[in-house]
Amino acid sequence: MTAAPGPGPRNGPPLGSRPARAPSDGRDPHDPGVSLARAALAGDTLAIQDLLAHLAPYVARICGPIALDDGPDAAQEALVAVFRSLRTLREPAALYGWTRAIAVREAVRVARRAARARPAELADLPAPDDPELAADIRDVLTRLSPEHRAVLVLRDLEGLDERAASRLLDIPAGTVKSRLHRARESFRKAWSA
Amino acid sequence: MSGDNGWPTAELDDVRRLRVMAASILGARVDERVLPRTLDEVWAVMGDLEGGFGRFQPDMRDVRVVRAGQGRVVALARSRFGMRARLEGTLRPGWCWLQSRFLIIGMAAAPEPGGGTRVAVTGGVRVPVRAAIVPLGVRRELDRTLTRLESLL
Repeated sequence: MTAAPGPGPRNGPPLGSRPARAPSDGRDPHDPGVSLARAALAGDTLAIQDLLAHLAPYVARICGPIALDDGPDAAQEALVAVFRSLRTLREPAALYGWTRAIAVREAVRVARRAARARPAELADLPAPDDPELAADIRDVLTRLSPEHRAVLVLRDLEGLDERAASRLLDIPAGTVKSRLHRARESFRKAWSA
Repeated sequence: MSGDNGWPTAELDDVRRLRVMAASILGARVDERVLPRTLDEVWAVMGDLEGGFGRFQPDMRDVRVVRAGQGRVVALARSRFGMRARLEGTLRPGWCWLQSRFLIIGMAAAPEPGGGTRVAVTGGVRVPVRAAIVPLGVRRELDRTLTRLESLL
């Protein structure tokens, strides 16, 4: 896997530390993704190809932890949705946030459709600074529902706060926060048992 | 598959990428087949623009690469009917995307989990200044392309 382009950390740290936002988040008019999006909107298929190469690692990085074994299907369907509706993107500077929202929603949809997720029992969700976590991320993720994996990805991989994550997922911020808190406590109990 | 930070990441192979490309272009279709050959064997034909390429792409007769480097390629092509095209795009193992003013050609190949290589093609006559393909006869042309390719392997 090549380094992820676009916003967020390219090869961020394990869940422990909150990643710093990358210099470019689509607001930079010289951002390569934004200029490619403008050329793609003008019908240049080479620009579409380059934009796909630019966005694919970013989308794959979001879809992988949410859809797990169905990650390739989710990434493909998310990118199909992104590129099919590219012409509806009125402001190319919003490219990354728009792509992220589509990727999260498609990953949750594909994972649910695959019926491989377990019911949402957040008892296993770790705190971001748990040192034991790095080796067990996939194991922890498999015990969560797609919706909760999405919260985790947005919070710990994308660096969104709970309010922004809840807005993107259309979930009340207070509910997200309380569930995360309860989950962390349960996880600590499991570790110390 | 996991990234450097331990989080699982999704892998998007070149055939999946071609499906995305086709979805972004109005009128485009993708035709796919699994061939009982390795990726290297398949791409030795598909990626040989001045050789195998012209033998399985229906309307290509002479193709001459005029510039290539760092994955980018420029080629001059002539159809059986004498029309010329300046094709510009990307060529690397498993992936080829070329466009001219009036043509779009996309090809991809990836190892198939059950064995063999999945090949996919898309393209057709381009609608100028738009990401669109004239949809007439596209399915038949793509099917012909893969049938010819299969016969060469």
